[in-house]
Amino acid sequence: MAVEPPDQRRAFLKLMTAGLGALTAALAIIPGFGFLCGPLGRRTGRAGASPLRVAAERDIKPNRPLRVTAVGPHEDAWLRMEKVTLGSAWLVRTSEDGPIRAFSTVCPHLGCGVDFDESSGKFNCPCHTSAFDLDGRCLGGPSPRGLDELETHVEGRDVMVRYQRFRVGTSKREPIG
Amino acid sequence: MSADGAPTRAATKTGLRDWLADRIGLDELGNTIRAGQVPGGASLWHTLGSVAAGLFVLEAVTGVFLATTYTPSVTGAWASVAYIQDQLTFGWFVRGLHSFGSSALIVVAGLHLLQVLLFGAYRRPRELNWMVGLLLFGMVAVFALSGYLLPWDQKGYWAKLVEATIAGSAPVVGGSAQKFIQGGATFGSTTLTRAYALHAMALPALLTGLLVFHIYLFRRHGHTPKWSLSTEEAAARATPAWPDQTFRNAVVGLLVWGVVAVAVIARHGAPLESPADPTSSYLARPEWYALPLFQLRMFFEGPLEIVATMIIPAIVTALAFSLPFLDRGATNRPRDRRRVLTAAGLGLLALAVLGVTALAKDARNPVYAKARAEEKIRGETARRLALKGVPADGNVFRNDPAFHAREIWDERCAGCHNLAGAGGEKGPDLKAYNSRAWIRGFLTNPDGPLHMGPAKIDKGMRAVDGTPEEIDALVEFVYAETGAADADAARAGRGRDLLSPKDCDTCHDLDGEGENDGPNLKGRGTAKWVAAVIADAGHPLLFGDRNKMPKQRNKLTPDEIDEMTKFVLALKGK
Repeated sequence: MAVEPPDQRRAFLKLMTAGLGALTAALAIIPGFGFLCGPLGRRTGRAGASPLRVAAERDIKPNRPLRVTAVGPHEDAWLRMEKVTLGSAWLVRTSEDGPIRAFSTVCPHLGCGVDFDESSGKFNCPCHTSAFDLDGRCLGGPSPRGLDELETHVEGRDVMVRYQRFRVGTSKREPIG
Repeated sequence: MSADGAPTRAATKTGLRDWLADRIGLDELGNTIRAGQVPGGASLWHTLGSVAAGLFVLEAVTGVFLATTYTPSVTGAWASVAYIQDQLTFGWFVRGLHSFGSSALIVVAGLHLLQVLLFGAYRRPRELNWMVGLLLFGMVAVFALSGYLLPWDQKGYWAKLVEATIAGSAPVVGGSAQKFIQGGATFGSTTLTRAYALHAMALPALLTGLLVFHIYLFRRHGHTPKWSLSTEEAAARATPAWPDQTFRNAVVGLLVWGVVAVAVIARHGAPLESPADPTSSYLARPEWYALPLFQLRMFFEGPLEIVATMIIPAIVTALAFSLPFLDRGATNRPRDRRRVLTAAGLGLLALAVLGVTALAKDARNPVYAKARAEEKIRGETARRLALKGVPADGNVFRNDPAFHAREIWDERCAGCHNLAGAGGEKGPDLKAYNSRAWIRGFLTNPDGPLHMGPAKIDKGMRAVDGTPEEIDALVEFVYAETGAADADAARAGRGRDLLSPKDCDTCHDLDGEGENDGPNLKGRGTAKWVAAVIADAGHPLLFGDRNKMPKQRNKLTPDEIDEMTKFVLALKGK
């Protein structure tokens, strides 16, 4: 049996209402989704671009790791700060006048700050008990890799470190930021 | 009621109440509410759902109050929370209610869930409402986790950092999920604004909507009576929900709010640790309700970790959601649902054991105790300094004179002096300056690398020669001049008597007036003396012509010289 013309008209109106509603919703949802996911593709923070002075070379004693903080410029979304503590590093040298190596204090497991235990001569993570030797090698615990080494060199009397963050929880070292 | 009860007016309603009743349909609404019956009779068992809803209202109201003052920015968050906690009228109380109320909400919602489980109230036709309830419970958990970050203090920051990292460890989508939570590659401003938008906008709207649906479904299907009652018995014993059940709800609700309020008063509000410091080694621990998961993770290392963080939680969640369809028990009686209840009981026991294990392990851990003690001092210091007003960059420690002094030190002093005990560039190393050890080092080897050596003074002081007892006495004499309270007066006196035999007095006077070759020793190392050295070490009473240290008098304000003096004096004890 043929559909009555008014019903046909109403069926069309229903369809149009649903369509217009979907269009209206899309108008908010599409840009909204993009807005929310914006940070996924965007670089945030410009830290780690240049080496920062962290210590005087003469302060680094053999087998006595020194915890230093990297203070430098930092961009955070809409903020730009000139002097911000970006992070910490352990400076290690294993012999008098030997080369200095720098390790990020960020535990590669889940990002806690790694401490140095003088009695055992090892780096320990307080959160989940990962341990590392003076070369940054992982000795035990859940950390998927050794401590992250940072680029470092001596400039005149100063120890310079290029501070960087790395993705934690992965066996591969992946810089972020 | 109309005062005028004339029958002619009866047909057209009068008075504000009636006017409203007519416009809103108040009577119909009231009838609907009053019509509710509790099969099997009103009971304390049935109070938990409405008490949980009541706690949500408490959270919403106190949350709005907090939002009038809270500032979701990395520089302002901690400062505003410290202001609420320590300065605003009733701030500590309102914040305490909000914080402890959320813990109470988790407990009560959890008990509600267990009661539903015990009564078999998740079964046909209430399957959907069981799932809605689980969703609500999950939302409460996300509420709590996101709220934990907002003060931007140490514990919130680090707990959230670990959680975001766990999200990042998920296969395939992990990296994106973590960036999405953080609002970027690293923790920062957008992490906080996102958590705030979630906590104070999105979740309240979602949870309110879902809660209305939950209550609608509950009204549609009603209470589930105790398993021992048959349908007929339950119907026979039914009582009206209003006021029989609602009264019980009110009593238990008030009791729970009372417990929360007492806890808030007893603890003087919720804890607030020192501001988030991304460079510290903080011992991250989640809030109590997440401790079982924290402990569970300890059993799975390396690539197996996602078993604890994702796979087990996902399986438990899937089982919980499908429970209404898995439970094939003939009746609601516990003995017909033995498997379900045993599994639930074991699960609960596992949670408790894991949680207690985590607590017990930390209680036995001296590293943990030390970290907590250090944080306590840091937190108290930060909050005391915040009372002076937090600087706009959010660094409250700037208020600490020692912080400012350290900045001046780095800028003006560190070029020549050292504090690390490794020797200065052009001046003495001031590590433990004016301690006995420092003085002894100086007297026995004035031109050593830790003392005047780097300054390369022309015709400087000669090393003191003498028996160990004589050196001890001279050290004590110089030490006593600094005003040290623990100086041995007798020994210092013997040292003073040695000044002449040892030829010290050729260059050094002791009267505070003589302008000899070397510094006048009266009050050497006291605050006044240190301030004078900082101001102008070339003064004739001090180092005179031999001085190489630049005058600070015109570069630092008197207040700054005062701060630097305190800074230098404090070095002695380190």
